[in-house]
Amino acid sequence: MHGVVCHQVAIEFSTGAGPIRVLKGVDFEAPAGQLTMLVGPSGCGKTTLISIIAGLLRGATGSVRVFGEEVTKLSGADLVPFRLANIGFIFQQYNLLSGLNAAENAAIPLVASGMPWPAALRRAGTLLSKLGLDQHLDKLPRQLSGGQQQRVAIARALVHEPRLLLCDEPTAALDGKSGQAVMGLLRELAVHPDRTAIVVTHDPRVYTYADRVAHMEDGLLTKVEDGTSAAHAGAH
Amino acid sequence: MIRVAFKILLHDTAKYLALVMGIAFATLLISQQSAIFHSVMESSVRDIIDVTEADIWVMKPSVETVDQPDQMAELTVNRVRSTAGVEWAVAYYQAVAQLRTSTGQTKSVSLIGVDDSSLVGAPPTMLLGSLSDLRRPDAVIMDAAGFASIFPGTAPRTGDIVEIGQRRAEIVGISHTGPSWTGLPRVHTRRSLAVEFARETLNPVTYVLARSARGGSPEEVASVITQNTGLLAHSRAGFKARSQEWVLNYSGVAENFGITILMGVVIGVAIVGQTFYMFSVENLRQFAALKAIGVSNGRILGMISSQALFVSVVGYCLGIGVASLFFAVFSPQLTGGLRGMFMDPVIFVGTGVFIVFVTLLSCVISVRRVLTVDPAVVFRS
Ligand SMILES: Nc1ncnc2c1ncn2[C@@H]1O[C@H](COP(=O)(O)OP(=O)(O)O)[C@@H](O)[C@H]1O
Ligand SMILES: [Mg+2]
Repeated sequence: MHGVVCHQVAIEFSTGAGPIRVLKGVDFEAPAGQLTMLVGPSGCGKTTLISIIAGLLRGATGSVRVFGEEVTKLSGADLVPFRLANIGFIFQQYNLLSGLNAAENAAIPLVASGMPWPAALRRAGTLLSKLGLDQHLDKLPRQLSGGQQQRVAIARALVHEPRLLLCDEPTAALDGKSGQAVMGLLRELAVHPDRTAIVVTHDPRVYTYADRVAHMEDGLLTKVEDGTSAAHAGAH
Repeated sequence: MIRVAFKILLHDTAKYLALVMGIAFATLLISQQSAIFHSVMESSVRDIIDVTEADIWVMKPSVETVDQPDQMAELTVNRVRSTAGVEWAVAYYQAVAQLRTSTGQTKSVSLIGVDDSSLVGAPPTMLLGSLSDLRRPDAVIMDAAGFASIFPGTAPRTGDIVEIGQRRAEIVGISHTGPSWTGLPRVHTRRSLAVEFARETLNPVTYVLARSARGGSPEEVASVITQNTGLLAHSRAGFKARSQEWVLNYSGVAENFGITILMGVVIGVAIVGQTFYMFSVENLRQFAALKAIGVSNGRILGMISSQALFVSVVGYCLGIGVASLFFAVFSPQLTGGLRGMFMDPVIFVGTGVFIVFVTLLSCVISVRRVLTVDPAVVFRS
């Protein structure tokens, strides 16, 4: 069964120059157990689409089903606990809390769900060790490199074992080598039979980490290929 | 999540200190000025405060404030005494007289004549000598601050001979009391002697001090006295309030202190509100990330309120500590305008309640940005 199913998703933004149609009826699917990449030129609507899937952006028409739940129909008050329980986020700007150390940052979703700090920190620590950060658990974000911060963000996104992982340009702020390392870890830790992983990127060098690559252009989904052929095509 | 709130707060040390200092400053200004205002108002009714034994003051109906009495005939004491519900009543006399030292210096003094037999009306705190010394011939008791102003550089002592109203007086005791409205040295003596010092030919009284019998409220007994005698009787508390009301109406004290206290409030609110606003706005992205992850607005408000509560309590403790230190240093002094000034517990607690309330309010107003921030901003770079 599909993790995320979008059907004819459209949205308009009103701007000074009148309304613009940013999504024009997107049909997009991301199955559980796979890493789906959403790619396309800047401004084509990728961030807008995953914001709608996350329930962070309201007002879209069409249908967005996440594990069978129609998110466009959930109330704002229901979306907050829905996100906390089901979704992990990774952003381009890591958006870590500057006053919290690595372990505390990674523990946030657990603590927000009511887990006591010691247990939450233990789980976060275990995950951070897998991400190669066992020496950095008590470091503040500003004491970490960009790649290390993004790995803390990966831990924060996965620590509560969400069914959906949404990543928006996770490697865009990193140099090539750190970007590859981060994608490798993401691939290794995020892909799980019960989890749907969606990674927005416009970096063809990381297509190899995808099971499927969905191409968007100007507010529409244009084609879907499997990861290896996309990587092959991207290399040329 | 409270722990997260504290980490966010304490992480930004400069802003945290600015918040605490702003609140401490506002607390200091508000509590200290309120306490001084309160103390000044107390000093305007020093005579009433210093007479602790009587709970009823009887006067001519024309009297508006304790410092401006109107003389009555000595007979009135008996009329009060014979009123039902009065346990005892004695005469009390106030006047301003001229004092001359042995070296020829003169000074106006506030003369207080207490009841010859009971000494009701005598100063409550003696530094040197004892009250019973008042029974000696020509005996007067002078307050320490007054003594210091008449004999500069001389430590308080007894035994000095002075002239009051061209009549011999011997300082047999030194009392200690807070400042009075007029600032004149305070000289207590027996009433019979006081009228001589004041060169009165009749034997007037300015107030009749009375005590209500056990079981009767001073207010009730006072109204009975007013009805029966055609005089005006107040309970001690009532006369205090009446006199202070008069002072407030005929002086700019309230306005002056009001302005300072208001300044404290405005500065406090401005600093706290502004800093908290900047603090919240700078952390907007972090709060947005929390909202995206699934932390509700209610919990974010809880986090921010606990930050505000924490800084306001810390700032309050600091400010009230400095204010208390101020009074601890100046209050026990024997001379100087700040002697005897104190912070009423109501001001101590009230300032705290007010500061915490204002801080919470200004932070709640300034965090509206945080509550309304679109969590989708976390996707924008
Ligand atoms: N809140 C908004 N108001 C107006 N225009 C917006 C808003 N959000 C996005 N857009 C516009 O929608 C288009 C798609 O944006 P976005 O989804 O961020 O693209 P991508 O992530 O693919 O680069 C852009 O032209 C952007 O300027
Ligand atoms: Mg984008």
